[in-house]
Amino acid sequence: MNFNFDLVVTSFPLLLLGAGVTIKITAMSVALGVLIGLFVGIVRICRVKPLRFLAAVYVDFFRGTPLLVQIFLFYFAVPVITGQRIDPYVAAVGSCGINSGAYVAEIVRAGIQSIDEGQMEAGRSLGMTWVQTMRYIIVPQAIKRVIPPLGNEFIALLKDSSLVSVIGFEELTRRGQLIIAKTYGSLEIWFSVAIIYLVMTLSISRLVAYLEKRYNTDDRH
Amino acid sequence: MIDIENLHKSFGDAHILKGIDLHIKEKEVVVIIGPSGSGKSTLLRCINYLERPTSGTVSVDGIILGSEANINDVRKEVGMVFQRFNLFPHMTVLANIMLAPMKVRQVSKEEAEERARKLLARVGLADKAESYPQQLSGGQQQRVAIARALAMKPKVMLFDEPTSALDPEMVGEVLDVMKSLAKEGMTMVIVTHEMGFAREVGDRVLFVDDGRILEQGTPEAVFEHPQEERTKNFLSKVL
Repeated sequence: MNFNFDLVVTSFPLLLLGAGVTIKITAMSVALGVLIGLFVGIVRICRVKPLRFLAAVYVDFFRGTPLLVQIFLFYFAVPVITGQRIDPYVAAVGSCGINSGAYVAEIVRAGIQSIDEGQMEAGRSLGMTWVQTMRYIIVPQAIKRVIPPLGNEFIALLKDSSLVSVIGFEELTRRGQLIIAKTYGSLEIWFSVAIIYLVMTLSISRLVAYLEKRYNTDDRH
Repeated sequence: MIDIENLHKSFGDAHILKGIDLHIKEKEVVVIIGPSGSGKSTLLRCINYLERPTSGTVSVDGIILGSEANINDVRKEVGMVFQRFNLFPHMTVLANIMLAPMKVRQVSKEEAEERARKLLARVGLADKAESYPQQLSGGQQQRVAIARALAMKPKVMLFDEPTSALDPEMVGEVLDVMKSLAKEGMTMVIVTHEMGFAREVGDRVLFVDDGRILEQGTPEAVFEHPQEERTKNFLSKVL
C-alpha cells in the first residue's frame, strides 16, 4: 500500500473550500429546518384538526422518503412542473432544510409534550391565550430539553449534506470526487474527506455539550 | 356571582358530574368536601372551563361561558390555585407574578412590579422576589401561587386542594393567607380536606358524593347535624 502524503497536502486547500460550502449549506438548512420545525411542531399539537393533519402529512412524507430522492425531486422534478431551472444552491438548501424540518418538528413536539400539563393550565387560568402561554411559558422550558436531540439532528444533517453532491453541487464530498477523478488518489482523498467531516461533527457535539451544560446550570437556581 | 345549572361532565364512559346546580353569591366562601373521586375537583375546574362541561351552563359575573373569547374574559376575573402550585420554574418569583397582568391586562412593567412586590409582602415573602420557585418550600411556593392569581385582581378565587401536596407543618401558613383573603371579602370556592379550616372559614359547606351535591348548609349544620347517611359516614372518617 502506498499512501501519498503529498497528495493530501496539495489537495487539502481545495477540500477545505468544499468544507466551507458544506458548513454554509448545513447552517442555512439548519436555520430553515428550525424555522419550519418550530412552526410545524407546534401546529402538530394545536387544536385545529385540519392544520394538525397537514403537519402530520408533511412530517410523514419527509421522514418516510429518502433524502436522496427528495433532492432529485426538488432539482429535477419540480422544474418539470414550473418550467424553470432551479439553482443548485436553492435545491440543496431547500431539500435539506425541508427534510430536516420534519425531524425538528418531531423533536419540538416531544419537547413541548414533555412539559407538565399544569403549566398550560396555570397559564390559561390566568387569562393568557394558548399562543401566549406557549410563547412565554411552554416553549422557553421546552428549548432546554430539545437541545441534545437537536444537536444530533444537526450532526446528521451535516453528514447528509454530502448527498447534494449528486446534483453536482461542489461541497466537500463532490470536491473529493473531482480531485480523485484527476489524481486517482481514492485512498488519500476519501481518508482526508472523512477526517474533515469528523472534525466538523465533533465540533458540533462539543458545542451542544456546552449549551446543554449552560442551560442545566440555569435550571439549578 | 357564579351560577351553575344542571352541569354534567363525562370523561369517556365515566360520568363524573351528574347534574350540579350551584349559585354562589358575591363575597361568599364556599367549601367543597367529599371523598376522592366524587367529582369535587372537576366541579371546580368547570367554573373556569379548564374542564368543558358535557352539558349544562356555567356563568360567572353574568357571562355565560362558551366561546373561546369569553372564556378568556372570565378567566381574567377568576383566579385559580392548584394542588401542585404550577409556578413557572424558568422565571423568578417576581416574574411569575408580573407575567399575566402585563400580557393580559396590559399593565406597565413598573406597575406590575409594584403590585407584585405588594402582594409578596402580603403573603409574607417580600424577601423572595428574586428567588426561583425550586428554591422555595412547598408552603412558600403555594403562597406565591396565591399572589400570582391575586395579581390579576380577580373577583373570584378557586382553590383546588391547595394544601394537599404540602408537608403538615406548612399547611398553616397557606391557610392563614386564605383566611385573610376570606376576611377581606373575596368570593372563594375551595376544595379541601382540611375540615377545621372548612368549619372556620366557610360560609357554606357542600358535601359532594358520586357527582352530586348531596348536602349543603352552614358549616355548623353540615358538620354537627348531617342529614344524609353518606355525609355522616364520610365525616366520621375524616373528623
